[in-house]
Amino acid sequence: MGRKILLIEDDRETASYLAKGLNQEGHSVEQATNGQDGLFRATDGSFDLIILDRMLPVLDGLSVLKALRAARIDTPVLILSALASVGDRIEGLECGSDDYLVKPFSFAELLARVNALLRRRESRVDPAEHRLTVGDLEIDPLSRTVRRSGKKLDLKPREYLLLEYFARNEGRVVTRTMLLEQVWDYHFDPGTNVIDVHVSRLRRKLDEGFEKPLLHTVRGAGYMLAA
Amino acid sequence: MPTTLRIALLAGLLALLSNLAVIGFIYYRTHDEAVATVRQQVAEQGKVLADVYRTGGKPALDDAIQDTMTYADPQTAVSLLGRDRRQTMGNLEAIAADFPLQEGYHNALIRVRGQTTPRIAAVVVHRLPTGQWLVSGRIAGEGFAIRETLERSLFIALIVAGLLGLLCGVILAHYVGQRIGDIAKVADRISARDLSQRVPLSGAGDAFDRLAGQINAMLDRITALMHELQLLTDSLAHDLRSPVSRLRSAAHAAAETDDPFEQDELLGSVIRQADSLMRILTNVLEISRSEAMTGRKQFSWFDVSELAAELAEMYDPLAEERGARLDYVRPERAVPLFGHRQLLAQAVSNLLENAIRYGSGGGEICVRVEPGDKKIRVEVSDRGPGIPPERRDEARRRFGRLDSSRSDEGAGLGLALVESIAHLHDGRFILEDNQPGLVTVLELPAHAGEARSAGRREPATGTLSPSTASASEAAAVR
Repeated sequence: MGRKILLIEDDRETASYLAKGLNQEGHSVEQATNGQDGLFRATDGSFDLIILDRMLPVLDGLSVLKALRAARIDTPVLILSALASVGDRIEGLECGSDDYLVKPFSFAELLARVNALLRRRESRVDPAEHRLTVGDLEIDPLSRTVRRSGKKLDLKPREYLLLEYFARNEGRVVTRTMLLEQVWDYHFDPGTNVIDVHVSRLRRKLDEGFEKPLLHTVRGAGYMLAA
Repeated sequence: MPTTLRIALLAGLLALLSNLAVIGFIYYRTHDEAVATVRQQVAEQGKVLADVYRTGGKPALDDAIQDTMTYADPQTAVSLLGRDRRQTMGNLEAIAADFPLQEGYHNALIRVRGQTTPRIAAVVVHRLPTGQWLVSGRIAGEGFAIRETLERSLFIALIVAGLLGLLCGVILAHYVGQRIGDIAKVADRISARDLSQRVPLSGAGDAFDRLAGQINAMLDRITALMHELQLLTDSLAHDLRSPVSRLRSAAHAAAETDDPFEQDELLGSVIRQADSLMRILTNVLEISRSEAMTGRKQFSWFDVSELAAELAEMYDPLAEERGARLDYVRPERAVPLFGHRQLLAQAVSNLLENAIRYGSGGGEICVRVEPGDKKIRVEVSDRGPGIPPERRDEARRRFGRLDSSRSDEGAGLGLALVESIAHLHDGRFILEDNQPGLVTVLELPAHAGEARSAGRREPATGTLSPSTASASEAAAVR
């Protein structure tokens, strides 16, 4: 299902590349090339998501974001930026953005984050269900218990959080950095495959002994939980 | 030099003013007292004689005058003048012609019997009912003379003091000017790009020496920084060459090949190389950000022991996969710290990755948080080969990789980043011997940033309490 996305980006090459990719995913994309124009368009509040470059002519990205939030427009905002330090990321998030993606990025990473944000928007409309189910997997967020085909799985606290995040993004690609940010709340880039090790441990507990795997590796992008 | 002149004049003026104050005080006191004493004596003597007349009449006064002339000291003058200003009785040989015969106190030039020259005297005049004038007085004599000498001396002293003050000022200004001139000379030469210049010390250990010392220390630091910066740019340029050339050859090969599977593989490698280049650049940026002390506004209170527990838990599976056991020694209570949670997490994670990468062969990796009154130590120790003491400085340097083979992922920035994050927190990064193995220590002040941002944010008790859910989760890991 297509969504309305506002893309505020002054670099034409990046903008057209992103617009093309998002169009192919079925979203309609409107573009603005400076901060003021972007803010003007964003204020009508009809967009499902705003992708905002941080360094923009006329009005910079963070100012646009602050103005939007001050005007009580709570459209999810994904910041794109070449400012990559941990401090910059935190600053971006503290200004009220919902996600922060550092340039250069792969389109798969951007798409995964866009989908996660749109899905969050959706679940904001419907109150979160108490139980999450993916195929024969059942998760109860209140008691933090997980069953597969009725059999209780013994997960460590962090493994549970990982699985719950996967389940809330069922059928969507989740990247390693998304996991690091959302499940661990760390905003730096570890030099090792530490996330992969955690995912493969979770997979062992989740899929071992069952015929149909639930946790899939998406090559070049990340992972996906799907029945 | 106008500054020198100004200092000299100022010093002279100050000396003059202070001397003037002292001399003025002395003058006021002596002048006043000498005059007051004579005046009082004269007034009393006049009053006594007037009283004698009032009670005993003219005969008694005559007797009293006679007595005074006979028994009083030779400085005393007493006289009874007729209406025609002629003396009917007394020892007053002469009095100034313009002496005003009026009731009251006067200063006058008089000559007393037995003396050859007229002298200044304090005189009191009473008019008797008979129309005669009773004149009594005292020659001020020595008191007045001393006063005059004193006044002259004080005046000379004042001039000398003023001149001396001016001289002191000139000497002082010359001295100050010379010391400052030395510093200015060095500053000039440094502006002309000669950073090796240093300000000479006089050895007196005075304020100028301290200033010179501080300037020299600053220059040392600048020189070191410039050297480091140059080294860094060189290393960066050098270290970027190999990933860029790998990237280039992979891209080239991908363009050449006809095999779609191989092409896919090569393009994947191109992306990986590009990512690792980006990681190097991000790390370099992160280090310079930390060194520039930006990011302090993102400081907050948190529990270091919980952070360490969380990271130990995060890296536990990775260590296990590399055949090592990762232990976390939890302190007895929460360890609150005011700092940059994300950057400290990155620092500790770098230490853990370093330990796992180089020390997991030893089988044991241990994370330990040691709270102290002044310092908090976050230690990561391994049983690997360690780093010999003479190479430890190199290990902390940017791009300072100890293994010369460049096959490894790391660009030698991990420990340098830890060091810069330690600096950001006013702390230190220390490498120690684990006998065998390496201990990497992040030593942070126990109240880092607290003084600097006093009144900012109080520790949130919720996050510090070890009984919160996430803390007990972390504890349950082991």
